[in-house]
Amino acid sequence: MRDYLLTLLSVGLAALALYFLTVSEGTSGLLSALTLIFIWGIAAISLNLINGQLGILSLGHHGFMLIGGYVTALLMLPARERRPFRTRLLSDWARNHLDLDKWLRGLGLDALANSIDAKFIIALFIAGLAAALLGIIVGAPSLRLKGDYLAIVTFGFGEIIRLLPNAPEVAAFTNGPLGIKGIPGNAGNIWWTFLALLLVLWFFSRLKFSSYGRAFEGIREDEIAAEAMGVNLAYHKILAFTISAFFAGVSGGLYASYLQSVDTQTFNFFVTFFLLVAISLGGLGSITGALLGTAIVVLVRVYGGFLEQPNPAWVGYLSGAVLMLAAFAFSAYIRKARRLRPVIEPKHFIFGAVGAVLLVITIAFFKQPWMQQTVQFFGMRKMLLAVILILIMIYRREGVMGRAEFSWKLIFGPREDIPTDEQRKQDAWLSNPDLNPGLKEDGDDDASA
Amino acid sequence: MAASKITSRSTIISLLIGAVFVVLLGARINSLENYTFARVVQDFLNALTLGSLYALIALGYTMVYGIIRLINFAHGEIFMLGSYFAFYAMTLTPLPWAISLLVTIILGGTVLLVLRSLFNLEEPKRTFVLSLVIFGGTFFLLTFRKLGWVEGLTLSMLATGVAGVLLEAIAYKPLRGAPRESMLITAIAASFFLQNFGQLVFGARVRGFNAQTILNKPLNFHIGPETVYFTGILVVVPLITALLLWVLNLFVSRTRLGKAMRATAQDAEVAQMMGVNVNQVIALTFFIGSILAAAAGVMYAIRFGQIHPLMGLMPGIKAFTAAVIGGIGSLPGAVLGGLLLGFIEIYVVSLFPTLSAYKDVFAFVLLILILLFRPSGLVGEDLTEKV
Repeated sequence: MRDYLLTLLSVGLAALALYFLTVSEGTSGLLSALTLIFIWGIAAISLNLINGQLGILSLGHHGFMLIGGYVTALLMLPARERRPFRTRLLSDWARNHLDLDKWLRGLGLDALANSIDAKFIIALFIAGLAAALLGIIVGAPSLRLKGDYLAIVTFGFGEIIRLLPNAPEVAAFTNGPLGIKGIPGNAGNIWWTFLALLLVLWFFSRLKFSSYGRAFEGIREDEIAAEAMGVNLAYHKILAFTISAFFAGVSGGLYASYLQSVDTQTFNFFVTFFLLVAISLGGLGSITGALLGTAIVVLVRVYGGFLEQPNPAWVGYLSGAVLMLAAFAFSAYIRKARRLRPVIEPKHFIFGAVGAVLLVITIAFFKQPWMQQTVQFFGMRKMLLAVILILIMIYRREGVMGRAEFSWKLIFGPREDIPTDEQRKQDAWLSNPDLNPGLKEDGDDDASA
Repeated sequence: MAASKITSRSTIISLLIGAVFVVLLGARINSLENYTFARVVQDFLNALTLGSLYALIALGYTMVYGIIRLINFAHGEIFMLGSYFAFYAMTLTPLPWAISLLVTIILGGTVLLVLRSLFNLEEPKRTFVLSLVIFGGTFFLLTFRKLGWVEGLTLSMLATGVAGVLLEAIAYKPLRGAPRESMLITAIAASFFLQNFGQLVFGARVRGFNAQTILNKPLNFHIGPETVYFTGILVVVPLITALLLWVLNLFVSRTRLGKAMRATAQDAEVAQMMGVNVNQVIALTFFIGSILAAAAGVMYAIRFGQIHPLMGLMPGIKAFTAAVIGGIGSLPGAVLGGLLLGFIEIYVVSLFPTLSAYKDVFAFVLLILILLFRPSGLVGEDLTEKV
């Protein structure tokens, strides 16, 4: 009861904070960062169901998100964007028939068709269903495999889904490499993504502690044992894949609506990599961990822009030198901390040597024009994410949260390792022969035997 | 008994499928009116070149997978590094002597350290000779004249091999014994890191790789009225590939280190008990795989004339597909798969021009089909997981 109240209270506080953010000035950057956290959080939580709870490495999540994005885009496209245009590859049939507005009016639901918000919910739902269908199609054959082969097959499916919209036959529905523009930007309003995230959090936390969730975790720990306990492996794997694909489709639709456009580069393999970094950082198998990891990763991506600002070239050389020297010091420290007999092999001096040489170059050629010219360090954020992922994999494979979930007990108790009075009473009844006559006889039997 | 029966039956089935395929191909060529003999020759040359390049890259995938069961996602980026090293070696030379000395000390020192640890060159005399050769050779090559493609290729192979060993030492070695999924994730991260590192250091734009050599001189010849577009590279690529394969085969089958590699591929733990230095063998595998990838990268750049930091993506994935087709873990399989994939790619586009938009999709479809229905590949070992 207390936990429910606390949860409600914190959700209310979060909503209140969001409200004040929306009404106050100069917070648009923070608001869009929050929207991105919510959207990517949904995607990360859904990927976490497969990669964390089911223990299967799936690399095709960007494909499901792409399907969700395109379906939402096509269904929601307003009438003025549907006019034929010379460079459009979208076919007349797709332009005229794949229209949620027409469908709803055809069913006589004009009230729904007049509200763009109601249409958005329906479109998101259909997008999720399309992605879930695709999840079954992808999952049913590929889940027969295991380990890295399965990962490669899902990667292959994801890449096929990403490459197909550019092919001429499919471009009739997807507008080819031009992509679809002019989608209504409902998700730009933060409340949409906030509510969707709350819904997803509720659903996945219920799922995790249901019999299905326990079956998934059983499959992760040991497939053979799980099968012996009566878990239908194929059914549970495909079910998890389908649920995950559904919410990936929903998040893809939200993202397309947030960007107000969608093309194949929106959902490339980097999307899956980004989600992988997020859930590995937060902890594979933990829903709140996935959300935490997403928050960190999105903040790096949104506020890490200063890493890619134009700077004089010597800044790059100098920071490269400092990073190399820091890596050298770090590796030396790690070796010293881990071994009884610290041995620094010659190859570890490579970092140090490269760093020192960069430092020397910076100082020696500081006045040269090529050292003073302005350059921009593109790709620093992606490199940073890659380095974070490698470091997590090497030094802390369970991530920040491990498999634990955030819970109110963590903060306010009661601590489960200290028994309550009731438990004490029960223990006393179990172990005290004066209170429990049955125990005495058992004990006598043991003693005589 | 039963096993041999099944094998013979599957052989017959695959032969039948192959025969049907050939007949269909012949019918298709017959139905295309403008498909002359000159185009057959042209396609054959293109396919042989492309297939050889895929085979060279695929060997790196298959060797690494055979030894540590890791799908080295970053192998395509190693290929990219190889072409860039050759590009800089061929365009920036001759260097001023001071810079050349600096580069020689850094590069030569790294190469020396790696080579020493790879080939058991611990005794002082050998080390001295080797260091003299490496430092002197690098300094001489970089300082006095503009490098040709042969020297560029050699230097790039050496440097890329060392880069592969460093990649293994930094990213994969700390994960020895970790779950295979963790290693795969690390490999993906390394791939993204190297792509963006390439964009940062080499610049994101496409660069022309104008090797002014005899290789790019047009040597067109005629068959009847048609012209076959022919350059030296179309012959050199298969020849260099064959040479490298011959050397690799000699190394793996005749030397002590090759024997150690085969032993490690069979069972790393037992090999270690028998006195094989498994870490050294793994580093050596990365070295050889990266050397082959660098050779492929340089020749790919000469063949297609341009390089950019993301150039390793599709060739890498196609070479991985080739390795899977041949049966991952098997060296002849990788070569076979690479050639097969090159021929399929060229001939599908040539015979069915409407399908050319699906060229990249096709590689993935093939990859999925092979993994789903014959994960052991055409000539691979049986990889079904044991309980």
